[in-house]
Amino acid sequence: MASSVELKAVEKRFGTFEAVKAVSLAIEPGEFAVFVGPSGCGKSTLLRLIAGLEAPSKGSIHIGERDVTHVHPSQRGIAMVFQSYALYPHMSVAQNMAFGLEIRGMKREEIRAKVARAADILQLTELLDRKPRALSGGQRQRAAIGRAIVREPEVFLLDEPLSNLDAALRGQVRVELARLHARLGATMIYVTHDQVEAMTLAGKIVVMNGGRVEQVGAPLELYHRPANVFVAGFLGSPRMNFLEGSVKSVHARQVVVALASGPVLLSRDGAGLVVGERVTLGVRPEDFRVLSDGSLQRSVSGGAIGGAIEGRLVLAERLGAETLVHVGLDTTVLDTRSEAPVIVKIAGDLPAGAPGARLRLAIDPEKCHLFDSRGAAHRETAATEATAKLPVSA
Amino acid sequence: MRVVAPSAPVVLRERAPASLARLRTHLGPALRYSVLIALGFLMLYPLLWMIAGALKPNHEIFSGIGLIPQAPTVEGVAKGWKTSTEYTFSTYFSNTFRIVVPKVILTVISSVLVAFGFARFHLPGRRLLFGLLIATVLLPKSVLLIPQYLMFRELGWLDTFLPLYVPSAFATEGFFVFLVVQFMRSFPPEMEEAAVIDGCNSLQVLWHIVVPVIMPAIISVALFQFMWSMNDFLGPLLYLSSVGNYPISLALKISIDVTEATAWNEVLAMSTLALLPSVLVFFFAQRYFIEGVTLGSVKG
Amino acid sequence: MYTNRAAGLAYVSPFLIGLALFLLFPFLASLGLSFTDYRLQDRWSDAHFVGASNYVEMLADVTFRKSLWTTLVYVLLTVPLKLAFALFIAFVLNFKLRGINFFRTAYYLPSILGGSVAIAVVWRYVYAGDGLINQALTLAGFATVNWLGDPSTALLTIILLRLWQFGSAMVVFLAGLQGIPQDLYEAAKLDGAGPWRTFSRVTLPLLTPVVFFNFIMQSVQAFQEFNGPYVVTGGGPIKSTYLLPLMIYEEAFKYFEVGYASAISWFLFVLIGVITAIAFRSQRYWVFYAQDRERAP
Repeated sequence: MASSVELKAVEKRFGTFEAVKAVSLAIEPGEFAVFVGPSGCGKSTLLRLIAGLEAPSKGSIHIGERDVTHVHPSQRGIAMVFQSYALYPHMSVAQNMAFGLEIRGMKREEIRAKVARAADILQLTELLDRKPRALSGGQRQRAAIGRAIVREPEVFLLDEPLSNLDAALRGQVRVELARLHARLGATMIYVTHDQVEAMTLAGKIVVMNGGRVEQVGAPLELYHRPANVFVAGFLGSPRMNFLEGSVKSVHARQVVVALASGPVLLSRDGAGLVVGERVTLGVRPEDFRVLSDGSLQRSVSGGAIGGAIEGRLVLAERLGAETLVHVGLDTTVLDTRSEAPVIVKIAGDLPAGAPGARLRLAIDPEKCHLFDSRGAAHRETAATEATAKLPVSA
Repeated sequence: MRVVAPSAPVVLRERAPASLARLRTHLGPALRYSVLIALGFLMLYPLLWMIAGALKPNHEIFSGIGLIPQAPTVEGVAKGWKTSTEYTFSTYFSNTFRIVVPKVILTVISSVLVAFGFARFHLPGRRLLFGLLIATVLLPKSVLLIPQYLMFRELGWLDTFLPLYVPSAFATEGFFVFLVVQFMRSFPPEMEEAAVIDGCNSLQVLWHIVVPVIMPAIISVALFQFMWSMNDFLGPLLYLSSVGNYPISLALKISIDVTEATAWNEVLAMSTLALLPSVLVFFFAQRYFIEGVTLGSVKG
Repeated sequence: MYTNRAAGLAYVSPFLIGLALFLLFPFLASLGLSFTDYRLQDRWSDAHFVGASNYVEMLADVTFRKSLWTTLVYVLLTVPLKLAFALFIAFVLNFKLRGINFFRTAYYLPSILGGSVAIAVVWRYVYAGDGLINQALTLAGFATVNWLGDPSTALLTIILLRLWQFGSAMVVFLAGLQGIPQDLYEAAKLDGAGPWRTFSRVTLPLLTPVVFFNFIMQSVQAFQEFNGPYVVTGGGPIKSTYLLPLMIYEEAFKYFEVGYASAISWFLFVLIGVITAIAFRSQRYWVFYAQDRERAP
């Protein structure tokens, strides 16, 4: 039976260190939520707070209809899969899975039935009598998940479950987890630092940074409409390119931004922008087009030309299906802060270009992101603003 | 590394170091082995001599340094066992075990409990207490001897085994607690967190999860305490006055106190038997000793 | 990790009780006793406070001075020798030798058994007038030595007894040596370091924590040696092996001078404490810790 999870103004302090700063969050029953962010952002702490392994300094935690803030972990209806699996080494897989149920005093036949069922779902049936040390990494992980399933919890908590697996296995297990979620229909809260896992698995992503929630929403929502520079730079690989500049002029349907490499015309509503304001232009690698003398090339996303910037080819990383082109920008203004090369992703190969060759990059004006001086995204219309609303923060 | 200039003399120069090196690699191990074997022999000789002496008739004991008895006999063992006192070594052995067994059991239980408290709980003044724990290892016990004796006298425990094992129930030997703490800390707490989520209170976690996992450390503690207690002399000397309560260590001492000529073959026979339990335990559980020592020292 | 502080205290409580009862209380009582003239058979009411007179008497006592001197000689000889020997053998053992376990066992065994009365008894036998050592000397054509009866050699037998038990220190050194990564030796070889330089510049510095640990443990133990003098020589001849722990024991339980014995025991305690403290302080200058040491929790 899947339950909702709600956090109300939860704070966690360790001594003077604020690990979690006033987080409020709502997760629907059956949702697959992913807490993602760099190390130290507080995502694991948040998970442990929900589990009850830590007590919040302030705020309350609700699972289903119940306020579980002061309830013992074993009474919260949760099950947790630890990063290191935390299997009991002296017990077999079956005993590991049965342990929690035995402590609860469940009857042996009932325990055996539940263990068998969970083992069946995870294809662990042949491994039930083995001890953890006789299992491979992937098998151990399944055993850890099995231990969680057997409890039939209201909420599953998973703490970086894929980080101890090798790359090949990771992809495979990711798919299995997605399937498991579909099959069980359970509420799952998943913590990771890997944005690929977040993008592919989540129904809802919670991006965290420095103890705060930066943005909450569906993966593509966050990808296409990031609320701030951090979220924009965190999701997507290679990272979004950020170009510093200032607003040159504002018109009804156009904004001209002066970059170090020259002015760029963007077709967007300039409401809310002030001339001279410092802004950051964000362009994803696939939203550039490379124009070299004489030939036009399609960028990965296609689209019209809205502004062009000039640069030199620094490096071309040819991956086969696509090429990552590093372009060093010309700066018309002598800037003490040199800009890092812009990375452009194009389909196929980049024909003949020696390092140093001149390139022109076209920006698709509808695919740009504009961020104000505080790093917050500039939203265009009231309608779009509503859907891109930031979560309520206390 | 010297760069050798490429010229004719190279051939000669290269050959000389090579053969010297080869000599060194052969000499090295050979030298090592001979030193080790010679030393090993010297080290073990007193023990071998003791065993040999146990099997010799008394008049042969001082007649030579050879190990093989000319007239092997178990007379020394038989007479030695009966001893010249009113008790036999059966009594003395049983006394020893009546001291050692409770001591080991109490040490293990108290050390594990206290170590668990130190390793997994946020205690007020934990640092200070742990420092005190380590200090007890270095503390010269001789300064505590007299007051402890007086204390037990007031309790009426003199001439009983109580003063010898009751203090072990209080984890006063910091070395053991330290050993277990270090071992516990080498395991991340996630396993125990999983058990908490499974519904265990701390005692259940300790019993079901922690104890099975730290079993090697527990065995090391038990073994060390067993060995040390078997060898304990000062404790029994201080607290036990009736010969009927003597453990083997005291019984051995009085066997060489006799004013008439000592029947050395009997004494050696009894010494051998006294050491036998320790030696057997050591051979079967060597691994735990070595690991225990290194865990306590190198990682400490 | 567990949030229930009360439970934590409960787990540690045996230690807390033991600390108070069997350590702190006797510790302070011993100090108190040293300022009294309490004799073992007295009633408590018969004890008088005598200030520092026990200490004064102690310093003037010829027997005490001799015992102190003997103890210092004993410690100064056994500790460095034992450590050096243990290190040497550990070094010799620390190669991929076949049978390393056998040798390690052979050397470690004496230290397991060595503290026992049985071994002390055997020692008396080995060094007796016509014992093993003298028999061997005779065979080799040397004169016999009255090991146990001659004041100039009796202490030597006790020293040898302790040195014979170098195995435990050796095992610790061996573990320390095996903890030194092989790469460092290879790097040194590439740098052209010969065996002595490798030892003194690579091995030894990395071993200093272990050396330190062993030094402290061995020193504290050496100062408290009791079984050897008591069983093998009885403290004689002419008190030439009358180490301080033995003197403390005899003063308290043979001569019943509890107050006096307490004073001596406190003197010994302070002596050991000072040496330990100096050693700890000196760490900064010669002990090299490769990683950050995990201090007490």
